[in-house]
Amino acid sequence: MTTEQDTPADTLPYKQPSRTEEWFETLSKYGVTKAIVYGLLGVFLVWTLFPIYWLVTATLKTRQTLLSFPPQWIPLDAQFGNFARLFAERPEFLTYIINSTLVTVVTTVLATTIGAMAAYAFVSFDYPYNLDFHLPFYILSTRFMPPIVTIIPLFVIFRNLGLVNTLQGLILVYTMFNIPFAVWMMKGFFEEVPESLVESAMIDGHTHIGAFFKIVLPLVKPGLVASAIFTTIITWNELLFAVILALNDNAITVPVGLASFVTKFSVQWINMSVAATIALAPVLVFAFVARQQLVRGFSMGAVGK
Amino acid sequence: MATETDQEARASAIGQLRTDQSTGERVLLWVDDHLKWLMTLPAVLILFSLTFYPLLRALQISTLQYLPTGTTFVGIENYANLLDSEAFLNSLVVTAKFVGVSVGIEFILGFSIALLLNRKLKLRGLWQTLILIPMILSPTVIGLIWRLMYAPNGLLDYIAAPFTGGANVGWISETGTALYSVILTDIWQWTPFVVLVLFAGLQSVPDDIREAAIMDGASTRQRFLDITLPYLKSLIVLVLIIRLVDALRVFAKVYVLTRGGPSSATNVISMQMYRTAFRFNNFGEASAMAVSLLVLVMVLAMSFMKIANVEFGS
Repeated sequence: MTTEQDTPADTLPYKQPSRTEEWFETLSKYGVTKAIVYGLLGVFLVWTLFPIYWLVTATLKTRQTLLSFPPQWIPLDAQFGNFARLFAERPEFLTYIINSTLVTVVTTVLATTIGAMAAYAFVSFDYPYNLDFHLPFYILSTRFMPPIVTIIPLFVIFRNLGLVNTLQGLILVYTMFNIPFAVWMMKGFFEEVPESLVESAMIDGHTHIGAFFKIVLPLVKPGLVASAIFTTIITWNELLFAVILALNDNAITVPVGLASFVTKFSVQWINMSVAATIALAPVLVFAFVARQQLVRGFSMGAVGK
Repeated sequence: MATETDQEARASAIGQLRTDQSTGERVLLWVDDHLKWLMTLPAVLILFSLTFYPLLRALQISTLQYLPTGTTFVGIENYANLLDSEAFLNSLVVTAKFVGVSVGIEFILGFSIALLLNRKLKLRGLWQTLILIPMILSPTVIGLIWRLMYAPNGLLDYIAAPFTGGANVGWISETGTALYSVILTDIWQWTPFVVLVLFAGLQSVPDDIREAAIMDGASTRQRFLDITLPYLKSLIVLVLIIRLVDALRVFAKVYVLTRGGPSSATNVISMQMYRTAFRFNNFGEASAMAVSLLVLVMVLAMSFMKIANVEFGS
């Protein structure tokens, strides 16, 4: 704490507050600015959430009330039959849901396991040529590469290997997609596991690989859950690779199916809304489970834990 | 290396303690001895074969011409053709507009909102969770949501009616508005991301620094320029790079909203690449575009980091 004498007014590093600033001070004293901030926050929330409300309520409307002037803000006379009608008119959508679920589950397990193993190795072993430092950076840098850059060669390679139109092909690509994130997420968690823990486990007769699975992995469960949820969301949502690598019902996923409701000539509005709502439901559930980790994931580890 | 020998010593110690080693145990010990390579192998193998190798193949394919009869080597002809291709040059302009306007607005808007919210407010967990939602939605679903809002006689036409006299705007069907409608959708999705990251950064500015500055009589603006901004520097650069790189590769949103149209008003690079390769089967030229895009992204990201360093000083 400095005294008056140490810092006489004319040597203050900053000049005194201006009149506008004093005015703001007075306003905030009476809670006016706070009220304004809450108001603006409210506007921002409505702007952010209303489009989603609009989609979800569209599932309960008819073709006529959906695009009416003035709009129907609340769906009166809710048409719950719309859900059944989607599957009656477009039975293949069920296949797409099954395809997407299979691809997502397998990808999540693979990417999280492979990513966690690599992350653990980079944290706990020394590699020649400083590879334990360079390889993670190489892995992360692939995240910056526009995926469309590799899509043509991947299509050519997959066509030669017979992987086009297969779920395995999609799983391979999506695993590759998600490993960088899993590695970076898990690295942070493994760095906090004390080395002595593994050492004492090995003195107790565990093998190193055994100690990894039985002792280390349970400790980093929050990281595994976060990686898994992040991978699940990314995979469930992906369109670009699926549009190119999945051309028939064997492999078409939900996003590709969704996009097919919109053609150049017409849009099946109600079916489209119902299908899109089904597609977004699981993502919403996961988001609430892992909200903190998601911000961390989207900012590539820069924020929060 | 020290740890390696340690491990070998330990592994063989375990082995020596037991004379009745089974095959399973011997396998486990072998795994332990090579653990550092075995654990990284799957990740490196997958990333190498599905990113690095395709990248090399992209280079190779970009020198080929695809004909119904097979491929012929044409050298840099595909690249030369790009410079003459009006569609490609147009897609560069469209992409530049899309990236510049959407990332610019997202950043300014997002930073302002983060600053505004950076005070003691209630319900912080709630609003943070709620604004997370657009970020995690599939761009396909987002495209459909906005397609619904932009539809003729849809919600946005109703909101705009007082200004248009009731005529439909044709948000995504008119050349003049289509790109800005796609940009608005992107702003809707990604402004919350800027808010969340920068808000977290603002919250981590140590209180004592801020209090000391207040004690010294620093005004709000001075505190922002001299404390907050330098403190957030690296986070701001990171946010901008992430958004820039992601915006450059926008695909799903455009695919669902406009398919690049009307005419080519929203034909971003990835859309042009998709059309060239999978509509016109011109893999060579599309690969040349892909390689150019990669170089562009790398140059942009690197020069951006450099500019950021110069401007803020390290």
